[in-house]
Amino acid sequence: MKHTRTLAVAASVAALGLALSGCSGSDAGGDENTLRLWHYEGADSAMGIAWAEAIEVFEEETGATVEFEEKSFEQIRSTASQVLNSDEAPDLLEYNKGNATAGLLSSEGLLTPLDDVVDEYGWGDQLAPALQTTAKYDENGIMGSGSWYGVPNYGEFVQVYYNKDAFAEAGVEVPTTLAEFEDVMQTFADQGTTPLAESAAEYPLGQLWYQLALSEADRQFVNDYQLYENPVDWSGDEISSATETVKDWVDAGYISTDASGLKAEDAGVSFISGDAPIFYSGSWWYGRFQSEITDFEWGTFLFPEAELSPGSAGNMWVVPERAQNKELAYEFIDITMRPEIQALLGNNGGVPVAAEEADITDEKSKELIANFNALNDMDGISFYPDWPTPTFYDELNAGLQELVNGTKSPSEVQQQLGEQYQSGVDDIVG
Amino acid sequence: MSAIIEELDPERRDVELPTDAAPAPDTERPRRVIRSRRPGGPNTRKPGDWLVLAVAVVLGFFIAVPFLLILVNSFKSPADYNTSGPLTLPTEFYFDGIVAFWERVNFPEKLWNSVFISGLVAVFAVLISMFNAFALGIGRVKGRLWIVVLILLANMLPQEVLLYPLYFMFKEAGLYDSQWAVIIIFTVIQSAFGTYLLASVYSTFPRELLEAASLDGASRWQILWRVVYPISRPTLSVLLIFFFIWTWNEFLIPLTFLVSNATQTVPVAITVLQGDRLMDVTTTSASALLGLIPTLVFFLIFQRTLTRGITAGAVK
Repeated sequence: MKHTRTLAVAASVAALGLALSGCSGSDAGGDENTLRLWHYEGADSAMGIAWAEAIEVFEEETGATVEFEEKSFEQIRSTASQVLNSDEAPDLLEYNKGNATAGLLSSEGLLTPLDDVVDEYGWGDQLAPALQTTAKYDENGIMGSGSWYGVPNYGEFVQVYYNKDAFAEAGVEVPTTLAEFEDVMQTFADQGTTPLAESAAEYPLGQLWYQLALSEADRQFVNDYQLYENPVDWSGDEISSATETVKDWVDAGYISTDASGLKAEDAGVSFISGDAPIFYSGSWWYGRFQSEITDFEWGTFLFPEAELSPGSAGNMWVVPERAQNKELAYEFIDITMRPEIQALLGNNGGVPVAAEEADITDEKSKELIANFNALNDMDGISFYPDWPTPTFYDELNAGLQELVNGTKSPSEVQQQLGEQYQSGVDDIVG
Repeated sequence: MSAIIEELDPERRDVELPTDAAPAPDTERPRRVIRSRRPGGPNTRKPGDWLVLAVAVVLGFFIAVPFLLILVNSFKSPADYNTSGPLTLPTEFYFDGIVAFWERVNFPEKLWNSVFISGLVAVFAVLISMFNAFALGIGRVKGRLWIVVLILLANMLPQEVLLYPLYFMFKEAGLYDSQWAVIIIFTVIQSAFGTYLLASVYSTFPRELLEAASLDGASRWQILWRVVYPISRPTLSVLLIFFFIWTWNEFLIPLTFLVSNATQTVPVAITVLQGDRLMDVTTTSASALLGLIPTLVFFLIFQRTLTRGITAGAVK
């Protein structure tokens, strides 16, 4: 009796399925007045809010309709090359910058080169030079030169978040030099608090290490490290000072040895909960801190004395080669570059690439965007330490974990990292 | 009625699964009565029994931990999570995470897509498995060992290897971005396993029954539906349940083939919450809980069929 029931239920599910299958499946948009748009920003995020407004403006001005689908980052990351090679390709999508993503697709001919359009609309003048780096790819898909394949709409950079209440309680000021920064951390350490929220299992410590190297470096070092212009000296001043400083900070108790097992989420939460008064990390935390930190005041500043800091243009608009309504896509990109949309992005905790500081009314966001603009004025956007090779992210984290644990000395770690970096770069440059 | 009594009877779970031919429920009942009247009863367990029990409890706890964590964090507000971490109980019930996820991905639509795909795959795969196994296990076609090995390849190859060939095939066939692509792929993959298993079950099928049926003038088709199908129904039900749950949990192939949001399944929808750099622990937990409940409900409804055992139901 029971088995009959099991199969009967299954059979009726199947029958119902067959009956309704007419409404599944999809229609690839071929309509001339429809813009098929994909992005993966949450509706409440700065980009989500600004782009929703852009969609309204676009529909009003052009009379076209926007068929928008919110995708997952994971889906675009893992299936873009297949989707863009099919008739299901949208007209415009947000895609990840970098050699392994946009670079690879551009070299496969799946993205539309945008040089003429960029000239026509003047987007090149709106974007700082370092922000253009990730938008251009050469014929091998390596960023920094060649044709435009994308247009970044927002930026990101790494800065210091600090707990104002904890600073006031400890009687310390916002530091302006690296020496003062160390004094501040020493004060906290003396009071029994580990000052820095850190994670060596994921990106935060790698970015701090890179920042410490950048503090000793000039633009040429960044070009050598990121764009392979000259070989990088892995026992030179820049890298030695970074590795040794990380080691000193661990020994002095500024960074907990527990950090080797912690993830970025853990570090962020320890700042939100007030356990750690200082967190060196990216502007992507900004919106979350704004909504989730309720019991203390907090602020941000650029890393003391730094003229270069990790950061880059954000993910960008790309137009698939197989898009059906490219002109509409270009018009939409142009709307998102307008000052009012950029200001909307900025007022909601995002980092606009082309906003006037005067348009930003939100006090906190003003600080964030002033930091970003200051960094851009110095031409200080220096990308991320793990970009040069596909495997360096894991290698760098592993090396720094050993440094934090004390299983390897600074010189051993940087020698190992240097070999791994070089072999990865050799594979790319040939 | 007797089924309901059995379901209410908690002791039923203590009965070990029979390893020989499964006895019908009526023969189980007296045996259990005798056992519970054993001198001393369950209160005088030997130390060894307690040890086994303790080990089972510890193991059970470790198996349950991820699920408990999901449960605890699903109902926590982000603020609560930030101050107390993932391990403590929520201070108050917070449903916003679940509601937010539900609305953001249009959960009922995803739920229906998953039920539709998994349900059809389960039915089709069981049917095909049965036909294949009838030929291989009962029909004893030549070279059946190699046919089974060949069919099993579909199961042994990692899905990453299959992905690109399948992509080009279905794009040519015009089925890219269609749920039918996923249904066809998983019907084949699941029925590969089903064929392997059923073929070995059918190869031990009592020949007398088949011979008796053919003496009575039954055609092959009639033998399949009048003799083989009713007797192997318990095994088929178990396969159906497994195929449903396995297909439900599939991720990579649905992610690749279901491009439009309107066609996506629950596990694919859950990834919407993973950003480039940030994760939202409480909402992610809530989404995992929502994704898990349907399979759990499905399992609980049909678990009595499952406990019947995969080889049960030979000759009564």
